[in-house]
Amino acid sequence: MEGMNNQILEVNLTTEKTSVSLIDDEVLNNYLGGRGLGVKLFTENVPKGVDPLSEKNPLIFSIGPFTSSIVPTSGRFSLVTKSPLTNTIFHSNSGGFWGVYFKRCGYDGLYISGKLKDDNKGYIVIDGTKIVEIKDADHLWGLKTVKTIEKIKELEGKNAQVLCIGPAGENQVRISSIMNQAHRAFGRGGVGAVMGSKNLKAIVVKNGTQKFPIKDKEHMKRLSVVAIDKIKVTPITSQGLALFGTAALVKIINLFGMFPIRNFQSTYATPDQIDSISGEKLRERFLEDSEGCYNCIIKCGRLTNTGEMRGKGPEYESLWSLGPLLGIFDLKEITHANYLCNEYGLDTMSTGATIACAMELQQNGLIKDRSLAFGNGKSLCDNIEKIALRRGIGNELAEGSLRFAKKYSAERYAMQVKGMELAAYDPRGAFGHALNYAVSSRGACHLTGFLVASEVLGVPKLIDRFSIKGKSDLLFLKQNQSAVEDSLVVCKFVGYALGFEFQARFLSVILGKEINVTDLITIGERIYNLERLFNVREGFSKKDDTLPSRFLETLLEEGSSKGRVVPLNHLLQDFYKVREWNEIGIPKDSLLKRLSIERLK
Amino acid sequence: MIDPATFKQFQITGKVLTDHKYNTSHSGNISMRAGGKILIKRRGAMLGYLEPEDIIETDLYNTDSGIMLSSTETDVHRQIYLNTDAMAIIHAHNPFCVILSLIEDEITCLDAEGIYMYRKIPIIEVDNPAGPIDAAREVPKVLKNYPVVVVRGHGAFAKGNTLFDALQNITGAEQSAMIRYHIMLTGKPLKRDYSKEKFFSEW
Repeated sequence: MEGMNNQILEVNLTTEKTSVSLIDDEVLNNYLGGRGLGVKLFTENVPKGVDPLSEKNPLIFSIGPFTSSIVPTSGRFSLVTKSPLTNTIFHSNSGGFWGVYFKRCGYDGLYISGKLKDDNKGYIVIDGTKIVEIKDADHLWGLKTVKTIEKIKELEGKNAQVLCIGPAGENQVRISSIMNQAHRAFGRGGVGAVMGSKNLKAIVVKNGTQKFPIKDKEHMKRLSVVAIDKIKVTPITSQGLALFGTAALVKIINLFGMFPIRNFQSTYATPDQIDSISGEKLRERFLEDSEGCYNCIIKCGRLTNTGEMRGKGPEYESLWSLGPLLGIFDLKEITHANYLCNEYGLDTMSTGATIACAMELQQNGLIKDRSLAFGNGKSLCDNIEKIALRRGIGNELAEGSLRFAKKYSAERYAMQVKGMELAAYDPRGAFGHALNYAVSSRGACHLTGFLVASEVLGVPKLIDRFSIKGKSDLLFLKQNQSAVEDSLVVCKFVGYALGFEFQARFLSVILGKEINVTDLITIGERIYNLERLFNVREGFSKKDDTLPSRFLETLLEEGSSKGRVVPLNHLLQDFYKVREWNEIGIPKDSLLKRLSIERLK
Repeated sequence: MIDPATFKQFQITGKVLTDHKYNTSHSGNISMRAGGKILIKRRGAMLGYLEPEDIIETDLYNTDSGIMLSSTETDVHRQIYLNTDAMAIIHAHNPFCVILSLIEDEITCLDAEGIYMYRKIPIIEVDNPAGPIDAAREVPKVLKNYPVVVVRGHGAFAKGNTLFDALQNITGAEQSAMIRYHIMLTGKPLKRDYSKEKFFSEW
C-alpha cells in the first residue's frame, strides 16, 4: 500500500531469531495500520485463554499510513497486546518520534513474541533497514527510565529513540507502562508488565532513512496548509492546549460537576482548591517550556521545574489521579509524584486510582495503614515506590484496584470497568461518556469514544450531556472514528480543529485513490468488532459492560451534576442495537458478514 | 453560575438575533464585561436557546482555560474590551452587512436612523476572515471610533454600554445595510443623498 512498507519485523525472544514477513495490501486496505493492523495480527495469532504475562502473549507495535508524513500530529504509533490488568485485548498509543524512526527503518509492525531464556535480560536494537540485534541488558535491569535511556544513548548514539520499562514493568506490576523517551507512555492496561515478563528492557530504533513518496506532493502540501490554518485559528488547539496543556481541563470539568475527588465520593472542588491545581497555576508556577511530538504545532507537552525537581507533566489525567482523586491539592506534591511514576514506569492514572481505592478502604476501616489516608500527600511518593518495587502493601496495590479490593471483599470501592480504572470524568455528569466507559473493549477508557468533546466542550456541536436517545449512535460514530485515528495514526487533539473528512482527504492523497468518510467509518467498525470478538471469546459479554454501582445508584450531592446517576440500561440497550450485537452483547452473524470478519476460534 | 437577571439579558439578546435571522443555528456570539471577567456564550451553544450553562466566564486580561469552552471568537471580544470603551459586544453574521461588505468599502447610511446613529459603518478586510486572530488585531482599532464594524465576508461586531445597547447597534447597522442594499437594487437615483451632506466624508 502507498505510504506503508508492507513489512512486519518479527522478533522471537525465545529463539532470539528475527525475520521479516510481508503484509498483503488487502490487510492494510481493511485495517490501515496502527491499532487496526495490530488487532488484525493479534487476533490471527493469539489463541484463546493466553496468560498475558506468558511468552505466548505478543507485543505488537505498529505505525500507520500517516506516520512520518506531513499530516499534522502524525507522530503517534500503536501497541496491541493482551492486558494483564483486564485480560482483554488491549491497544495503547503514544506520541513523540519513535514511530517515525521505526517506519523509516522499513517496517510497519514489530511483532515481539517469546521470552528471553535463562533469566537473561535484553534490549532490541533496530538499526536502519538491515540490522536487528538483541543485546544484553543485565546492566540496565533495575534502572529507572531516565537513567535507562541515558545509558542506552551512550551505547547507541544520542539520536537513538528508546522505548523502555522501569522497575514497575520489570516487577510485572499490572498497572505499569512502557515509557517512550522517559515521559511519554504506552499507558493503561499494564503493558509494561508484558514487556517485563519477556525480560525485555528496551526497544531502540535508529538510522532509518526510508522515504515514502507521495504521488501528488503539491496536493498534500495544500491540504496540510489548510489543516494547519484551522489548527491555528481554533482556540482549543491554538490556545487552550498550547498554553495550559491538557490541564486546561481542570477548571472546565470541575465547572460541570464531573471532577472526581476522593475516589469519586465527590465531584466538585471549591474555587480555591481548583485554582491551586489548575492548568493556569501549573503554567504560572512550574512551566519551563512546552513540547510537541513529531510534526505537531499544538505542543501540549509540559516541561516543568518545581525548584526541587525537573521533569515533564503532569497531564490532566495524571494531575487529577495523583491529586484530587486522593484528596490532595498540593501541586508540587502531585508534580513530584507524576515524575516518580514516569521514572518507575507506572501508569499515573491507574496508580492514583488504585491508591484512591485503598484510601477509601482505609476510610472505612478495612485497612489500617495511615499512609493511605485521603489527603496524605507526604506519603504519596513512598507508596508509589512501594507499588513499583512490590514492597509491603505495594505488592497488593501493584495488582490494580479490582484485584486489590477483592482481597478485602470490597470491590465496590474499585472504580473500574473490566479491571481498568476510570479516567477523570465522573460518568454521572455525561451519559454518553458513561456508556463508553461501560462498553469500551479495553475497560473504563476515556479515549476510545471521547464524548466529553460533544457533551461538554461543544465539539463539533454541543449536545445535552444528560440526554439518552441518540447517545449510542453518537458513541458508535466516535468509537469508529477513534479506531481509525489510532490506525492512521494521528493525534486525537486535531479533531478539535479538523473534521473527520480531513483524514479521508489526507489518506486519499497518500494512497492515490479516493477514500471517503464512510469507507473509514466502516474500517473503524471492523476494528472495533474484531476487538469485541476477541473479548467475547475470552468470556466477556453484557455482564462486563457495566459501571461500578456508585455511578448507578448513588446520586451526586453537589455541583452542576447534582442529583444524577447513570441510566445505563437504557443506554446499553440502544448501543447493542446500533452495534448490531445481540442482547448479551455478541456481534451478530449478519454484521460479521457485512464487515468481512469471522468469529475467532 | 450567572445570576438570573444577567442571564435574562443574554437570553433576550440571543433570541432577538436568532429571530432576526442574523446567524446560522449555532453561529454568532455575545458577551459582557463583568468584574474583571468576560461573560461570553459557550462554543457550540445556540444563541436562540441559551441556558445558564451556556454562559462561560473567562478572564478579561489573559487567556485562561475558559478558552476550552468559550466562543471561538473570545480573543476578538477580549481585545475589543482591552482597547475600547466597550462593556458589551455582539458578533453576528447579519446578511445585509455581509453582502455589502463584499461589494463596498464602507456602508454609508441612507436612512434617517442610520444617519443619526452611525452615519457610516466601516468595513475592514483581513487575510483570514473566518479565524479570530486577524480580527482580534484589526477590529478593536476601528471600534475605538465606531460602534459597529463589518469584517468583509464575515459579519459585524457591535459594541455597547450594555448588551441591549450593543443589540441596538447591530440591529441598527443591519437595518441601514438592508435599506441601502434595496435602494441599490432599484437602480434609481436618490432624490436626496444625505450622505453627500453634513461632512459625511469626514466621519
